[in-house]
Amino acid sequence: MLTKSVVENTLSAALGTGADFAEIYMEQTKRNIISVVNGKVESAQSGLDYGAGIRLFFQNKAIYGFTNDTSEKNLIRIAREAAAAARGDRIYQLQGWRKMNLACMNPIRIMPDEVEKRKKAEKLFLATEAANKYSPLITQTRTGCLDIVKDIFIANTDGLWAEEQRVRSRFTVEAIASSATEKQSGHLGPGASMGFELYDEIDVEERARESARIAVTMLGAKPCPAGRMPVVIDNGFGGVIFHEACGHSLEATAVARNASVFAGKMGQQIASSVVTAIDDGTIPNGWGSSAMDDEGTPTQRNVLIENGILRSYLVDKLNGRRMGANATGSSRRESYRFAPTSRMTNTFIDNGQSTTDEIIGNTEFGLYAKQMGGGSVDPATGSFNFAVLEGYMIRNGKIAEPVRGATLIGKGMEVLQKIDMVGDNLARAQGMCGSISGSIPTDVGQPMIRVKEMTVGGRG
Amino acid sequence: MDRQALQNQIIKEALEQGFTDCEVFYLGGESFEVLLMEGEVSNYENSSEGGVSFRGTYEGRTGYAFSERLEEDTITFLIEAAKENAMLMAEEEREELFGGEDYPEFNGYYPELEQVCVEKRIQLAKRMEEAALNGAESVASLDYCVLGIGKREVAIANSLGLNISYTKNFASGYVSAIAKSGDETKKGSAFWKGTNWADFDPEETGRKAARRGAALLGAGTVDSGTYTAVLDGKAMTALLSSFSGVFFAENVQKGFSLLKDKVGEKVAADCITLRDDALLEGGYASVPFDSEGVAGKNKEVIEHGRLKTFLYNLKSAKKDGVRSTGNGFKAGLTAPVKTACTNFYIQKGENSLDELISTMGNGLYVTDFMGLHAGTNAVSGDFSLSAEGFYVENGRIVNPVEQITIAGNFYALLLDVLAVGDDLYYASSGKGSPSVLAKNIAVAGK
Repeated sequence: MLTKSVVENTLSAALGTGADFAEIYMEQTKRNIISVVNGKVESAQSGLDYGAGIRLFFQNKAIYGFTNDTSEKNLIRIAREAAAAARGDRIYQLQGWRKMNLACMNPIRIMPDEVEKRKKAEKLFLATEAANKYSPLITQTRTGCLDIVKDIFIANTDGLWAEEQRVRSRFTVEAIASSATEKQSGHLGPGASMGFELYDEIDVEERARESARIAVTMLGAKPCPAGRMPVVIDNGFGGVIFHEACGHSLEATAVARNASVFAGKMGQQIASSVVTAIDDGTIPNGWGSSAMDDEGTPTQRNVLIENGILRSYLVDKLNGRRMGANATGSSRRESYRFAPTSRMTNTFIDNGQSTTDEIIGNTEFGLYAKQMGGGSVDPATGSFNFAVLEGYMIRNGKIAEPVRGATLIGKGMEVLQKIDMVGDNLARAQGMCGSISGSIPTDVGQPMIRVKEMTVGGRG
Repeated sequence: MDRQALQNQIIKEALEQGFTDCEVFYLGGESFEVLLMEGEVSNYENSSEGGVSFRGTYEGRTGYAFSERLEEDTITFLIEAAKENAMLMAEEEREELFGGEDYPEFNGYYPELEQVCVEKRIQLAKRMEEAALNGAESVASLDYCVLGIGKREVAIANSLGLNISYTKNFASGYVSAIAKSGDETKKGSAFWKGTNWADFDPEETGRKAARRGAALLGAGTVDSGTYTAVLDGKAMTALLSSFSGVFFAENVQKGFSLLKDKVGEKVAADCITLRDDALLEGGYASVPFDSEGVAGKNKEVIEHGRLKTFLYNLKSAKKDGVRSTGNGFKAGLTAPVKTACTNFYIQKGENSLDELISTMGNGLYVTDFMGLHAGTNAVSGDFSLSAEGFYVENGRIVNPVEQITIAGNFYALLLDVLAVGDDLYYASSGKGSPSVLAKNIAVAGK
C-alpha cells in the first residue's frame, strides 16, 4: 500500500522526535450497504474508506495522528507534529524489516465486492416476504446486507511489516408487530468473516421468521414484573452479559489505569467456580477473528477466567508497557481514525455440566431471558444494564407466560459470583461493540446460564 | 486534488456519463485531543481528514457512493458505484436536489481558538485534572481528563448551480472523576464546550466532576413502586435524544412513530414547548444549512403541549406536500440524507431545580440514565433504564440511590410532566432540556 521508502522516511521522521517506538497503519476499505424497508430498497451505498494513522510511544505516553492524505510529505508532517506534545531524550534507530507470514484464518469463497448488488437485494426481498408471511400482525420490516473488504498494512520500528485482507459480511433483519396501541420488534443480525457464501450458511427466510416470531410473541406479552429474582439467560446472544459485565473490565484500557474492578485480581477467584471464559480471535471465519490484531500481534486464544479464577487480561502494546504485561493479540480499532487499544474479539463462557432442562427445572420462580438486546457497562464501577428482547416468566420449573420490557441491571463482580448453573449448549452470536477505539465486530457467546439473583426492571 | 476542483470534475464527468443531475457533498475536518493521566499527557491526537459523498439521478433513480480518497482515480469508482446503486432504487424514492435559497448569516468559525499553543492547552487540561483530584476527599483518581478542539467544514456543490460551504469549530473539556469509599465506586463527570477559551474555567469544571461523584457515595436502593420524580436536564436530554426520531416525518411516513395524524393535537403537557433551532446563537448544533443545502430555521415542534410540525428533509416534505424544515442531514460521508435534529430542546420554564424538588415532596431526583442504546424501544416509546440519583423526602435530598431501573413510555412521559425548570442544559450534541417534574415513574429497586 505504501512504498518502503515512504514508510522508512515517515518512521525515521517519527524517531527523530525522540520517540522510542513508531508505527504506521494504513487501510483501504471497500464497503457496500443495502437496506430494504417494508420491501423497498431504502438505501444502497458503496464507498471507500481510506487513510493512515501514525502512532508514537514515548515510554508510556502515546501520540496519535491520522489523515487521509497519504502523501509522504503529509505523513512526515503528522509524525513531526507529535513533537509539539512530547520529546524523547535519545534518538532511536530504525531496525531492519521482518515480514510477517500470517496463517489464513478466514478463507473466503466468494468475494462480496464481486457479487452483483441485485443478488444481495434479492436476499433482502426474500427475508421481507418471509417475515410478512409469518403473521398478519407484522406491519413493518427492515432488512440489511452489508459487506466490507478491508486491506490493512502495518509497519513499525520493531521491524514489523505486515498486511492482511479482512472480509466480513452481515445480514440483519428486524420485524415489527403492531396492535392498535402497541408496537414490538424482534431483530437478528448473523454475520461472519466470510464473503457472499455467508448466505449459503444461513437461511435468511428462517431468520426473518424467527424475528417475526419474537415480535409477535412480545406483542402479546404483559409488562415484566420488577424486583430481585433468579434469571436464566439463554445461549448465543445471552453472552452479551459476560461481554458487558466482565469482558470490558478485563480490557487493559481500564485495568492499566486502575479504573477496573478487576485490577489487581489476577489469580484470584472473581467468578463462581462453574465459570470458564475465553476470548479467541482465531476461530475460523469468526465475526471477530483476524490473523493479527490492529497493531500486528498475531491473535490467540486467551483463557480469561478458568473455573472462576482470573487468568488473563486483554492486553495491547501500550497498556502492556504500563502494566508490565505481554500483548495478547487483542489490540483493535474501528479504522485509521482510532489509535488501537485492548478490545474483545470472540468472547464466550465455555460449556458447563448442566443441561438446559435441569436449569429451567430447578428454577421455581424467575425470569427466562431467551433473547437479549444490547447493554452497556461502566468499567470503573462495574455497573451494567441489559435489555431483554424476548423474556418469559419461569413458574414451578416450567417456562410460563411471555413478558416484555425487562431490563437486567447489576454489577459485574456480583453477577459473576452468582452464576450457579452453566449449561452445555454453547453458541455464539454477532454484535458491534463500541468503545474508545471505535465500533468493532465482536462475537458474544455462552451456553444457557442461571444467575441466582438479579435486579430485574420492568413496568409490571 | 483541490476540493473545489474535484467537486467540479466529478459533476462534469457524471453528467457526461448519463446522470441527469448530481451533487458532491464534501465533509472535512481537523481535530486535536489531549488525554491526561496522573499529571502527564498519556494520549495525544492530531488529525486532518476529508472525503466526498456523491449522489445523482441516473435513469430516473438516485444513486449514492462515497470516498475518502480524494484523487482523480476515485472519480470513476464513484460514478460506476452510484450507477449500480441507483438501479436498485425505486423511482418513487428519487431524491430531489436543491438549487439554493437565501441563507442566514452564520458565525461558527473562531480562528483564535486554534491559535492557543499546544503547551497552553495541555496546561488547561492539567488544571482541570488537578481541580478534579482536589475537588472532593473521596476522589483519588480520574477516569478521563480530555481537552480537544474540533473543526468541521461542509461544502456542497451540485449541477443545479448550488455552491455553498461553511466552517465551524469548537473547543471542549471533559473530566470524569472516580470517587471511592470502601468497596463502593462512583463516577462524576462534567464538560465544557465553547468557542472562546476565556469562557473555560478548568477549575470549576474539575471541581464539578469531583463533587458529583462524591455526592453519589453511600448510595442505597429504594422500594419498587411508582414515584413522582424530578429528571434533571442531563437525564431528560438523554431520553429526548433517544426518542427524537419519533418527530421525524420520514419515520412517521414509514410507520416508525406513533405520532402519525397527531399534528395539531395535544401530545405533551401544556408546560412543554419543544424547539428545533438551527440558528441558535452559540448553539452546539447550529448550522446555516442542512446537508441538502436547505437554509436552517427555528421551529416550534411542540407548542404548549400541541404538536405543531414534524421535522422534514426534502424527500419527506415532498411526500406531505410541505416545505423542508432544513433537517435533511447526513450522519457522515457514508450515510444517505436522512433526518436529524439541530439544537433540539425543551424550552425552559419558571421553576428553579430546588423548587421542583420541594414541590415534589417525596420522590426521586434522577441525575443519570445508563444503557440508552439498548433499553429503549424507538418504535413503541417504551424504555427501561438503569438510573442514578437521589431519594427526596419532604422536599429535601436525603440519600443517593443506585441499582434501580426506571421504566416508562416516552409518549406517556411527555403528558405526565407536571412542571419544567429554568435550568436549561445542553448536551454537546445540541440537544437539551431543563429539569422536569413528572409523575407515574415506575421504579424497580428492592
